[in-house]
Amino acid sequence: MKLAPEKIGAWLSGSGPDSDVVISTRVRFARNLVDVPFVVRMKQFEQELVLETVRWALADTGYLKQGQFFEEEMLVEPDGLYFVERHLASPDLITCKNRKGLFVSEDETVSLMVNEEDHIRFQVLASGFDFATAFGKAAELDEKLEGQLAYAFSPEFGFLTACPTNVGTALRVSVFLHLPGLVLTREIEKVLRGAYALGLLVRGVYGEGSETRGNLFQVSNRQTLGQSEAEIVEVVSGVCRQIIDYEHKARQFLMHNLRVEVEDKVFRSLGLLRGARIISTEEATNLLATVRFGVALGIINELKLAEVSQLLILIRPANLQVILGEKLTGAEQEERRATFIREKLVR
Amino acid sequence: MKLCDICGKKEATLVVRQLDKDGKATDLNVCAECAKKRGLTGVEESPPESGAVITELKSKVDDSDAKVVCMRCGMSFAEFKRVGKLGCADCYQTFAEKLRPIIRRLHGSVQHIGKTANQGRKRAQERLEIQRLRAELEKAIKQEDYEKAAALRDRLKRREDETGS
Ligand SMILES: [Zn+2]
Ligand SMILES: [Zn+2]
Repeated sequence: MKLAPEKIGAWLSGSGPDSDVVISTRVRFARNLVDVPFVVRMKQFEQELVLETVRWALADTGYLKQGQFFEEEMLVEPDGLYFVERHLASPDLITCKNRKGLFVSEDETVSLMVNEEDHIRFQVLASGFDFATAFGKAAELDEKLEGQLAYAFSPEFGFLTACPTNVGTALRVSVFLHLPGLVLTREIEKVLRGAYALGLLVRGVYGEGSETRGNLFQVSNRQTLGQSEAEIVEVVSGVCRQIIDYEHKARQFLMHNLRVEVEDKVFRSLGLLRGARIISTEEATNLLATVRFGVALGIINELKLAEVSQLLILIRPANLQVILGEKLTGAEQEERRATFIREKLVR
Repeated sequence: MKLCDICGKKEATLVVRQLDKDGKATDLNVCAECAKKRGLTGVEESPPESGAVITELKSKVDDSDAKVVCMRCGMSFAEFKRVGKLGCADCYQTFAEKLRPIIRRLHGSVQHIGKTANQGRKRAQERLEIQRLRAELEKAIKQEDYEKAAALRDRLKRREDETGS
């Protein structure tokens, strides 16, 4: 196991267009090999065959040289959650009993899951609102893999996936948005309903269901068939463009009319983080997100956007334990998390 | 009463749809016993998989759902409704009629637009061809049919040069 736990993905560099609002842009493709049954019907030797074939294809494309391929004990609980928290793998990959694999590029912008719901699912993450980079890199990887692998495809239904919700382009694009301005001005409901009406799916980034933490949202396309890849990107990026503009307006409104209140909220959050001796993931997430808001608004100048965004991930349970190199109980985690954050925020 | 197309004795209880290369379907009436023998598990109850279910699908399972079974992977449409996932690429053709309305509801369309797959298929086909030639060559050598082996070796060499592998 070779991890670089304190060095976190280039997609969290805090750079890229509109990074004050957009944390990252993600593009994901699902693919299945034509010659092998889908995952629910695979026998173990077929799972191994696919694993082998994909690894071989990745090697042929040169991608393996740029990262690591994880298997087995790295991809089960609790260690596997490390990748989930970093948005490099899905929780399903970790909990499923399949023979499975995960490729992660050195800079963590490219990852590829083997034998999750589909034989292959790969994603590219880019920092900020940047479909050009994310889609460009994902399409390139798709091209290269397709030169090595025969995909299940039908002229009518497109790329065939285990679940019909992904069939067609099998393309899912998503944007991770930080929308405290819209939440504080109570405009968020309206905006999210509008996005849904335009065919998009909106979810909180952390927490199940509609519960959101830290005012972090994920917006993605609902439909994958009947539109070309470019059209899907265009629709999602068009709607997100509007959301970003609304968020900017909301932030301007807040800074003009409620500046002291916003500053109070931001500095109290920073104060709590710098003072806490015990802190849960949930509380830390909420406070860090508010601090991020303060940095984005220029209220806090001593911290960088990237530092705070990265902390949102580094403080999560599996990452914290890998960084500290220890297995910790819940209570121990809360204490060590508080210490870790304090050390990071000292200036 | 329809008799089983396999044993010709027992009553057929399910229809197995077999697809040829062009996707043309041939229906086979099969009895429960023959189905089990051939591993066509569609009629058996298997535990539902958690979280994977398209809830909308679960609402109504009609009689024909249990009877149409994918010849390649043995999944029945009823089972698909239960687990929310298909068993293989052929399932899409086997269940095309039943899937179309579902796919239309999900995506507002049933016609793929966008990138098509073929490039990889060609390359994969070439790889298979080369593997097949290698196997034949080995066999020819084992059988001491050196004339054939020489011819195969030349063909193999040509194919390998063409594909650069
Ligand atoms: Zn029979
Ligand atoms: Zn099937």
